[in-house]
Amino acid sequence: MVVDRSGTSADSASSLEVASYRVADVRQATQMRLLKGRLEVNLEEVRELALSEPAVTEVQVSLVRPGESVRLANVLDAIEPCIKADSPETTFAGILGQLEPLGLGLTNRLADVAVVPLCDFRSTHDVDREMEAPIRWHSIIDMDGPGRPYTHWGSTTNVVLQFTCKSDDPLAECDRAIRRATAGVARLLASATIGAPADVTETFCWDAEAADLPGIAAIIQVGADEPLLDTYFYGSSLRDTVPFLIDPREVLDGALTAGAYEYSGVRNPTQFYQRNKLVLSLLRLHGSRIRFVGVIPTLAYVQSNFEKSRHAMIAARLAKSLGATGAIVASYGTGNAQTGTMLTCRACEAMGVKTTVIVSETNGGLIDHVPEADAVISVGNHEELVREWEPEATLGGRYYDVESNSPIESPGPLSLMGYFGSSSQMGDTCLRTVAV
Amino acid sequence: MKSMHFLNQFFAGLGGEKAAKQPPLRLDGAVGPGRKLDMEISATVVCGDDYFGEKESEALGQLLQWVEDEKPDVLICGPAFAAGRYGYACGVLAREAVRRGVPAVCGMHEENPGVLASDGAAYIVPTGEGVSGMRDALSRMSDLARAVVEGRAESAPPGTYLPRGQRANVFVEKSGADRAIEMMLAKIAGDSYETEAKPPLERVPVPKALESVASVTLALVTEAGVVPKDNPDRLEQCRAKGWHSYDISGLDSLEPGSFESVHGGFDVHVANRDPNRLVPLDAVRALQREGRIGRVDGFLYSTTGNCTPAARSLKFGHEIAQRLTEIGVAAALVTGT
Repeated sequence: MVVDRSGTSADSASSLEVASYRVADVRQATQMRLLKGRLEVNLEEVRELALSEPAVTEVQVSLVRPGESVRLANVLDAIEPCIKADSPETTFAGILGQLEPLGLGLTNRLADVAVVPLCDFRSTHDVDREMEAPIRWHSIIDMDGPGRPYTHWGSTTNVVLQFTCKSDDPLAECDRAIRRATAGVARLLASATIGAPADVTETFCWDAEAADLPGIAAIIQVGADEPLLDTYFYGSSLRDTVPFLIDPREVLDGALTAGAYEYSGVRNPTQFYQRNKLVLSLLRLHGSRIRFVGVIPTLAYVQSNFEKSRHAMIAARLAKSLGATGAIVASYGTGNAQTGTMLTCRACEAMGVKTTVIVSETNGGLIDHVPEADAVISVGNHEELVREWEPEATLGGRYYDVESNSPIESPGPLSLMGYFGSSSQMGDTCLRTVAV
Repeated sequence: MKSMHFLNQFFAGLGGEKAAKQPPLRLDGAVGPGRKLDMEISATVVCGDDYFGEKESEALGQLLQWVEDEKPDVLICGPAFAAGRYGYACGVLAREAVRRGVPAVCGMHEENPGVLASDGAAYIVPTGEGVSGMRDALSRMSDLARAVVEGRAESAPPGTYLPRGQRANVFVEKSGADRAIEMMLAKIAGDSYETEAKPPLERVPVPKALESVASVTLALVTEAGVVPKDNPDRLEQCRAKGWHSYDISGLDSLEPGSFESVHGGFDVHVANRDPNRLVPLDAVRALQREGRIGRVDGFLYSTTGNCTPAARSLKFGHEIAQRLTEIGVAAALVTGT
């Protein structure tokens, strides 16, 4: 159930209020402030905050806007600036500081802005040696040209942080530093909203009422294998977890964050958790048309048929025990994970929980399928090529060959797989495939 | 817009069956039905139906050479209607031209073998079975050729060309999330809904067990990406584009250092210490010595299953099965990872 109102909530202990501040432009200034839709930022202050991480040796801060002839390469993540207005120290609890339950109280967010960290890890580290499964694929945002519409961040004003890390520090520590610094900058930018009137405030309740409405669960696959291929809940990795229940408002409030840098077209950036369209829509329907029973994260890349089946069974069992009539099963990554998606669909249907499945396709269609998956949402063909584009400037470091991971001059025409978040399988984009 | 046209001997006016052995021929400008295409034809290439059927690689080599020399914006093939030999030549030439960067538009009946031969590469205008639909077919082929050259083909109305088995991206009004919720509500309510992606899978019934493999020929087939050391055919580590066969006659086992897996879906280090654990040639030879397996085919048939789309895998499976059937193999040991 959603209540629209301005001002503060009388009952913030049991609801999440999200106050949105639209930002039409971001400008460099000597002081941080938000003035009539214009965010003024002291870029040196941003740089100093990011540089306060010991594992970071250099940070270049840039503002890039839609329509500029700029390509961002080696994109790690994108975070929407937000702050817990009544207790800023709990923002991104578990990553930045004090551990408090998220998803309750007042959160201020800057709309149409993103903090985008870039890092060419291979310039300082032997990534292939330090990782069990080295990261693959380009991760690109084009601010103009034919690739711009395919990524959400081609249409946001981006505060870009180009990180260089200390080569002596382990990759995992450098990554942790970048994730902390990025969240810190996101909170710093959003601090400009404190005391200012919001453009719109939305209140999200998630109560146990509406018992007679059909129960719907959102089962969301996440990748959590090792540092750089990880997803975090309150700052800790989801590695080795079994499916569990998350309050949907925790997802919107920064409890679930991304740190997985492979296959950029089909993974979930943090901002797609913060403004998750599946969660937002299900919460908005909660109490009127459905009863949203919650978000169930389940691991995407478990490495045996037994483990895939076990995770599928546990997720389905949890959805069933929460009273779900239906479950929307969101995939993640590529083939390995999609087999898990299909097994989860099968496990749900076997327990009488009806499913719709969200997946990305290839030139050859679906990679895997079970007959029970009779309601599939296709969020795009990630192998389709986008016309080549020559930007005037590229930020983020070198390109690497997808097969060999050795440096190359130009990536050539890229498939959607190379475009950050272009075919994300939680349904955050408006892309789909059609048969031709 | 510069176009090139491909005709057989009949439509080029060289004669019927008697001229079917006509080798490839290049003519300037439009010929025969090409004159009724609503576009400028800079050159016409011709090949006899039998010549193409009997000497495909020679015919194709010469025709493609002329296409590459001419560098047209689009290659027009047909219409071939229900003519199988001409349709096949249209489909093959169109497919190969597209692979060399020249878009192709064909016209033929949907059951013409040329449709399959084009492998989804060409845009094929569906026609009737006979030449009475010539005028209409040429007009629709002209329209589609312009749409292809101008990049508008994907937004053409359904039915403009035969489905190519391809998945194109389009932007729609509603997010994937909202579409998923709508479909869920319809499914729960028992209302109709249309899934956005159908399975390309063929359900394979489990065949009856052979009474004995002692009297038949067994073949070894794998999706584990097992290839001779250094991967001479560059088999892909994922999203395989084809399958390969490798001579294993006279080998007792797949020795590390001679064979390896290039599969990208698992850590191959352990498997490569003993490739027999991916393709158990050692165990098969032992059973053969005991007389429990009869003949073993001299080749290993290998591809990579990792992320290879089901439709493509199905095609590989059919091709391998056809080969095995042709050479009299009655049993296959298929290993996967």
